[in-house]
Amino acid sequence: MSRINTNKQRNNQAKQNVAPTALHWRYLLVVCVIMLVFVGLSARAVYIQVIDPDLLIQQGDNRTLRTQNMPVHRGLITDRNGQKLAVSVPVRAIWADPKTIVENGSLNDKRRWQALADVLGQDYEKLISRVKNPKKRFVYIQRQVSPAMADYVDQLSINGVYLRDESRRYYPTGEVSAQLIGFTNVDDQGIEGIEKLYNAWLKGTPGSRKIRRDGKGRQVEILEQKAGEEPKDIQLTIDQRIQAFAYKELKKAVQYYKATSASAVVVDVQTGEILAMVNNPSYNPNNRSGVSGHRIRNRAITDAFEPGSSIKPIAVLSALEFGSVEMDTVIDTSPGWMRVGGSMVRDSRNYGKLDLTGIIRKSSNMGTSKLALSVPKQFLIDQYYNMGLMSDTGSNLIGESSGIFHERSRWSEFELSTLSFGYGLSVTTAQIARMYSILGSGGIKRPLSMIKSDQKVPEERVLSKHIAQEVLSMMESVVNKGGSGTKARVPGYRVAGKTGTSRKAVAGGYGEEYVSIFAGVAPVSDPQLAVVVLINEPRGDVYYAGDTAAPVFSKIMSNSLQMLNVPPDDKTVSSLASITRTPNAG
Amino acid sequence: MNMMLRTKLDPNKRSLLNRIHCDGPLLLGLLVLMAVGLVTIYSAGGQDWQLIDRQLVRLGLAMGVMLVVAQIPTLAYQKLSIYFYVVGVAMLVAVIIFGDIGKGAQRWLDLGVLRFQPSEIMKLAVPMVVAWYISQFNLPPKLRHILIGFILVGIPTLLIAQQPDLGTSLLIASSGVFALFLAGMSWRFIGAIALSVSVFSPIMWHFLMKDYQKQRVLTFLNPESDPLGSGYHIIQSQIAIGSGGAEGKGWLQGTQSQLEFLPERHTDFIFAVFSEEFGFWGVVGLLAIYTFIVIRGMIIANRAQDAFSKILAGSITLTFFVYVFVNMGMVSGILPVVGVPLPLVSYGGTSMVTLLAGFGMLMAIATQKRLLSR
Repeated sequence: MSRINTNKQRNNQAKQNVAPTALHWRYLLVVCVIMLVFVGLSARAVYIQVIDPDLLIQQGDNRTLRTQNMPVHRGLITDRNGQKLAVSVPVRAIWADPKTIVENGSLNDKRRWQALADVLGQDYEKLISRVKNPKKRFVYIQRQVSPAMADYVDQLSINGVYLRDESRRYYPTGEVSAQLIGFTNVDDQGIEGIEKLYNAWLKGTPGSRKIRRDGKGRQVEILEQKAGEEPKDIQLTIDQRIQAFAYKELKKAVQYYKATSASAVVVDVQTGEILAMVNNPSYNPNNRSGVSGHRIRNRAITDAFEPGSSIKPIAVLSALEFGSVEMDTVIDTSPGWMRVGGSMVRDSRNYGKLDLTGIIRKSSNMGTSKLALSVPKQFLIDQYYNMGLMSDTGSNLIGESSGIFHERSRWSEFELSTLSFGYGLSVTTAQIARMYSILGSGGIKRPLSMIKSDQKVPEERVLSKHIAQEVLSMMESVVNKGGSGTKARVPGYRVAGKTGTSRKAVAGGYGEEYVSIFAGVAPVSDPQLAVVVLINEPRGDVYYAGDTAAPVFSKIMSNSLQMLNVPPDDKTVSSLASITRTPNAG
Repeated sequence: MNMMLRTKLDPNKRSLLNRIHCDGPLLLGLLVLMAVGLVTIYSAGGQDWQLIDRQLVRLGLAMGVMLVVAQIPTLAYQKLSIYFYVVGVAMLVAVIIFGDIGKGAQRWLDLGVLRFQPSEIMKLAVPMVVAWYISQFNLPPKLRHILIGFILVGIPTLLIAQQPDLGTSLLIASSGVFALFLAGMSWRFIGAIALSVSVFSPIMWHFLMKDYQKQRVLTFLNPESDPLGSGYHIIQSQIAIGSGGAEGKGWLQGTQSQLEFLPERHTDFIFAVFSEEFGFWGVVGLLAIYTFIVIRGMIIANRAQDAFSKILAGSITLTFFVYVFVNMGMVSGILPVVGVPLPLVSYGGTSMVTLLAGFGMLMAIATQKRLLSR
């Protein structure tokens, strides 16, 4: 077609000075180049949009998508009576935008910066050096500032210095419940104890929304909105009155007996609820600077000890439950020692013939060993499991140890003997408390609980009721005249308990340090509370549990029973007389 | 091509369009392009009907200019081109002396009633004067004539370059050079030009370019070096294009463009908005429309019966093509950022009138020739 045209041109308009063929090629070339360029542009589009768009799409989203969290205040932690154990108070954070500061020249106003440094107690030079880099857009100047101080900073109105709401956790009970409650970090996240365990619950899920924002930072649309969950409060089973008293007694004991540490647990035997769980030494959760780790540990659940004599009742109840002995069976413990599988089992002296009560009262290793060996091995081991010693207590607390117990297929008789008097296994204070609450509840095993809840806890009968009661009344003899724990007596109440003084294992054997335990249940006629007091490494003149842990037990148990208005059940004259003589704590 | 054939076969349509000196396929291509432009401006301008109104007024005005220009005989252009050129150069000089300064460049001439950029006149005057000059002699042109042609191109180019308006001066230079090329400039000479350009560019870099222009070239070479400053345009527009993907995000759905991340989004960077919202297939469609217009322009040029018309038509078409290429290349990151709008799609100004005046000349060449040859 074009060719015809050019021919026409040549014929019709000969005077025209065109060299058609050459130009024709030139035009074709131009068209080809144009096509090539357009193909090139398409190729560029293919590259950007089809082959490699992911990065660019992501970059696009980076610039527009933001996830916002709605600010929330952490829930309260209260004790069973509603007393506040952890509260959130509103505070402010002071932050700076160095870019704005530099661009607006706010640094020139030295007086205001000096005033800011003064009120925050910061060094002026350091403060300036932190905010003068214009490449930064966000620097915290100080966090968790009190509202009054924040108002002052606000009035300084320095360009580029801003305030932000945040909340600070405050623990009114201070060191008393510190290890149990734990604490939060500066970002309001629980990092220890109940605060950590129930962080999600306390914090709620802050409502978050995914938004698209525009180039000026304005919200354009909400892409996704998660309603989130309101932060909820937590009510603990703790009774702060008991908790505080127990802590006070422990603290005194640690000082008096020059002990490394002490722990106490108070459990409601009817429900398995923990009424108190205290440790000393403790720390101030409101000012944690310089606190060493061992103070933060909730020793009652984390530290396992060989329980010694405090678990001797298991040997007795195993024999009774299996039927290898009767209530009135008498065991001959003379001559005070025996050889079991090549090793020696010995009492501190020859107790001669002892009935079961006598074995508990005198804490006879010979007696418990003979009882333990009188039942099948597996049956015996099962009783330890049943009494909750080899498993966690069900409290779910963070860092809880379930003790140390080496399950083995073959048990030597000596190993079974040592087990019967509390060596060869390690348990925590909380585990002993659970074992005693099983005894107190008439043989019903419940998990220990820390959170007040209407839910029914799983219950399991692990021991015949009459055996549990019988063992309790045997243990009552421990605190009565002639027992090893007479200092654990509680005026007005019948108390069943057991001392335990065990040597601490060190590398290669047993050392010179002791662990003193007193565990007990009261009132015996209708058990309500189980209390365990553990004093770790008493270094004073006295270290026997009967002299160290038992008096502390007595005070805690006495106070707790009175707090809870438990009617006294000990009507004997001497006991009643001692009530009138003791100033009433309540 | 089909369209073209149909207009030929349809006597009514042909006669109507011919009577007003319109080339049907070209008109169709331009109208489609304008429609695409309006749709995109609506989205890019934040759904502002005022923008659409103003653009419609401008388009109407420009179409009117195009139709008027199409009525004028090509012979008249041939004769008037030298006066046109001289007046244009005079105005460029006037700009230097009296011109208004806007955005750091002295480009505007205020004539009391209206302000306009004389450089726009030169976009047409330069190819016209070159075509006029060259077509007086036997083709292919002799070296002497080519050199004089280059002087004709060079004067306005330098005047505009020092305003400074590098983009326009390059466009004008290229329109003149295209005219010389289409006139049959020898390949040896083209080689010499290529050589001289490579020599000239360092000189230009050091003596003619302002710092902000140098900065643009440098950031083009490495946009990530200054993502918040000069590289911002390039990065944002590439993100916009890329995030459109093959299918696009849909009209009014582009995030980068709707949310004001993209600068100049309804003017120079409108191609990024279009790409984000209509995706790769939209881009291919847009390129197809441009290709159709350019090819149609080249066909008109090829069919023109005298050398002046041929050279002028080819040069106008190629300049239009360069507009498209420079804008798309800039927005998609293969060329440095120069302020060139996407023809007939971008919102705005004087350049549209000039463009459509150029298409008016194309239509004059296309239709009047046919009348003559009948």
